[in-house]
Amino acid sequence: MLICAVVVPAISGLSRANADDASVAAGPVRFEGYPDAPEVFVVPRKDELFFYPCDQCHAAMEANPEIRKLDTAHHAEIDHGRGRIWCLSCHDLENRNFLKTLLDEPVDFDEAYIVCGGCHSSQHKDWVFGAHGKRVAAWQGERTQYNCAHCHDPHDPAIEARAPEPGPRARAGLELKTGTMHEASPVWGSHGTDSEK
Amino acid sequence: MTDDRGKCDEVRRNFLRGIGLSAAATVVQPAWGGQTLGDAFAGFFQKHYQQMSPEEVEAALERIERKAKARYGVDITCKDTPPLEGVVFGYAINISRCKGYRDCVHACVKENNLGRDSQVEYIRVLEMDKGTSNLEHSDHYYDPETVPQEGKYYLPIQCMQCDDPPCVKACPVEATWTERDGIVVVDYDWCIGCRYCMTACPYWARHFNWTDPEIPAEEINPDTHYLGNRPRERGVVEKCHFCIQRTRNGRQPACQEACPTGARIFGNLLDPDSEIRYVLANKQVFRLKEELGTEPKFWYFSD
Amino acid sequence: MAIIRFIFDGIREMLRGPREYWIALGVLLLVVAAGAWRYVEQVTTGLVVTGMSDQVSWGFYIANFAFLVGVAAASVLLVIPAYIFHRNDIKDVVLVGEGMAVAAVTMAILFVIVDLGRPDRLLHMLPIPGIGRLNWPVSLLAWDVIVLSGYILLNLAIPFYLLYSRYRGREANFRLYFPFVVISMFWAISIHTVTAFLFSANPARPFWHTALLGPRFIASAFASGPALIIITLQIIRKVSTYKVSQSVIDTLALIMTISLQINLFFVGAELFTDFYNEGAHAASIHYLFLGLGGFNSLQPWIWFALALNVVAVVILMINPLRRQTRTLNIACVLAFVGIWIEKGMGLVIPGFVPTPLGEVFEYAPTGVELTVAAAVWAFGILLFILLAKVVIAIEQGRLRYPDQASKGFRSRQ
Repeated sequence: MLICAVVVPAISGLSRANADDASVAAGPVRFEGYPDAPEVFVVPRKDELFFYPCDQCHAAMEANPEIRKLDTAHHAEIDHGRGRIWCLSCHDLENRNFLKTLLDEPVDFDEAYIVCGGCHSSQHKDWVFGAHGKRVAAWQGERTQYNCAHCHDPHDPAIEARAPEPGPRARAGLELKTGTMHEASPVWGSHGTDSEK
Repeated sequence: MTDDRGKCDEVRRNFLRGIGLSAAATVVQPAWGGQTLGDAFAGFFQKHYQQMSPEEVEAALERIERKAKARYGVDITCKDTPPLEGVVFGYAINISRCKGYRDCVHACVKENNLGRDSQVEYIRVLEMDKGTSNLEHSDHYYDPETVPQEGKYYLPIQCMQCDDPPCVKACPVEATWTERDGIVVVDYDWCIGCRYCMTACPYWARHFNWTDPEIPAEEINPDTHYLGNRPRERGVVEKCHFCIQRTRNGRQPACQEACPTGARIFGNLLDPDSEIRYVLANKQVFRLKEELGTEPKFWYFSD
Repeated sequence: MAIIRFIFDGIREMLRGPREYWIALGVLLLVVAAGAWRYVEQVTTGLVVTGMSDQVSWGFYIANFAFLVGVAAASVLLVIPAYIFHRNDIKDVVLVGEGMAVAAVTMAILFVIVDLGRPDRLLHMLPIPGIGRLNWPVSLLAWDVIVLSGYILLNLAIPFYLLYSRYRGREANFRLYFPFVVISMFWAISIHTVTAFLFSANPARPFWHTALLGPRFIASAFASGPALIIITLQIIRKVSTYKVSQSVIDTLALIMTISLQINLFFVGAELFTDFYNEGAHAASIHYLFLGLGGFNSLQPWIWFALALNVVAVVILMINPLRRQTRTLNIACVLAFVGIWIEKGMGLVIPGFVPTPLGEVFEYAPTGVELTVAAAVWAFGILLFILLAKVVIAIEQGRLRYPDQASKGFRSRQ
């Protein structure tokens, strides 16, 4: 299939670039699913993964394909898909150091976008062309962008709410007074309250 | 008698030498708002940026560097990097990604040497109610526990770098103009501070230095551009310049770099393969106050 | 040269007067000095000492500027009857009116200068390569600089020529000065129209972005200007023996009445147009008259100004009251103050509220602004008194070049 063309096999031979040094990523990739897809360098993820390579432990463990709830000492609580997916939806049972597509093809962790794109195709397309995610360092020349998992924890992908940075202040020497301007009611507000069910 | 004359001569010589030294000292000692008298004098006669010869620009850049050293004790470099060929900058913000963090606002303050005391901020993030685009119901001063808040969306606003800028028309001394790469710039050494451009701007993007910007010396960004983030004085107007000191060297603007959600997309409008062009061709983009005919180069879109 | 003698004689006349004259000058100079002192504070610290902000970036200074350009333009109301309609009674006082125009334009220009962030860079406005760069004809502010400077020159040059001729005991050459008089008539309208366009050219400010702003400016100028001229002429009549015919006052009062009626009609038109189907563009006028989002600091002022104007126009419309000195003077003061509020702060501030991003941030002038503004007004009044002193002296024949030809000359142009 089209996706196969981009799968990078095996661990050996891949340069372990430092994720902070965005310009020294693995070689450029070009998603051939779309015509005119640009060449991008993707910031590697494997160095960020604390437990990688997974074979360290799993080579000695039994492979159990049964869908079940796992204890969370090592395995993440999954808040992704509201019960429609579980660990082995994305992780490859046979090759623990890889992820897998919907068609059970192995995918390197540095190319996690292939897995995410299997379901989130519109975001994936936007990401390929640079409308989703983050391009780092330069706006011209070699395009380097972050992997999906850089921002979205695949086990709990929603971006958490956080405190905002401080707001603007009034000009030095002047006082900021609050008004009632931003108290808006919904468009239907003048028609009364919501009706009973 | 010869002795007396000799003594007189000596006294006169010392006196004249003393005057000469004092005069020389006055010229080179910082006295005029942190500048030497010589620099202040040369600054007074400094021409409009577009009319200076390369040597005069060089001298102006050096004056700026000396002044920063005298004022903050910091060594800065000031350049006037010209626009890149075949480049016109454009910016798009994905408002379904903006969470209202204001990381962009504060990154800009640091990058562009904005006064911490004078409260000038080039970017203002508006908290809008979902379901309306009426700016009058926006909250500029939102300060909840966490963002994004329920039922709100966020609209960061900064200079739109209009293609038909009303501010450029308004300025009586042509202190603001559009550069070849589309950035609307200000010559801070030419502006007379009449603030007519501020009345003309429909996006409230231009800001005035009501007093001298106060920047802690250790936080000064020393890589500056004459038309960009070099230290400014009171009495002049300034605004977002798409981080001209960065973008003309290929780097992303500070706001784009700071945004943790990747909501900001910056690039070259003349490059058909750029992300900004993809956004403009494939997303439901809109511009603010488009009906005023200003032709902003700043778009908003949502997924 | 005789011209040098003329200037010296003029200065000497300015430095001559009874005790009351010197008390008046003294008080005015004190106010000027106080303002200059606070202006130094403003220049060394920055405009942060004013109440202006990024939200309301023009304030009391520009409010006074807009009002005073109108007063300056109104001198044309004496020039036209004097020279086109051959009203000799008005011709007797036309030079006083031009002196008022000079004082008013000087004040207007001073208000712009004290509002500048970098007044040391004033020369940047000169269209001389290497020194300045004037954005003419694109910038309305550039236009304003040109028309105001031209207006001062016209209103100094023409009276200078006329007064100098009388000083030398000879008839002024009508063919020489009349074309400039005609130019000054159109120029007077232009200074105020350009100032109106300065505001109305901004679609970013819906409150000003109306074609009606130019007509409103002229109408209010022709109401406030004569009000000031009427009061001033009566003061001159009282403190000197200068001949001020009652017919002059009557004509000016009539012009003022009609202009005030038109001005109030324009206000009504604005209120209807904005409030009938009220949209976001009416936010500023809503703020002005009714408050916005809980902010309403200008509301009492505008209603007060409207009341003053309505009372004034009612008085003026009643013929016996308009002809009676005391009621006329009351109407003049009410109209002058009412229009000063409505066209000054009532025009400038609502243009900034709300900001183009919908924020409501209010403005109030600080002590520095009030003091500096008072000083500018005092300077203008001072300038007018000095100019009027010389005009009166020459017109009354008390100031003549010491030669036989001049001595017996009595002018009647």
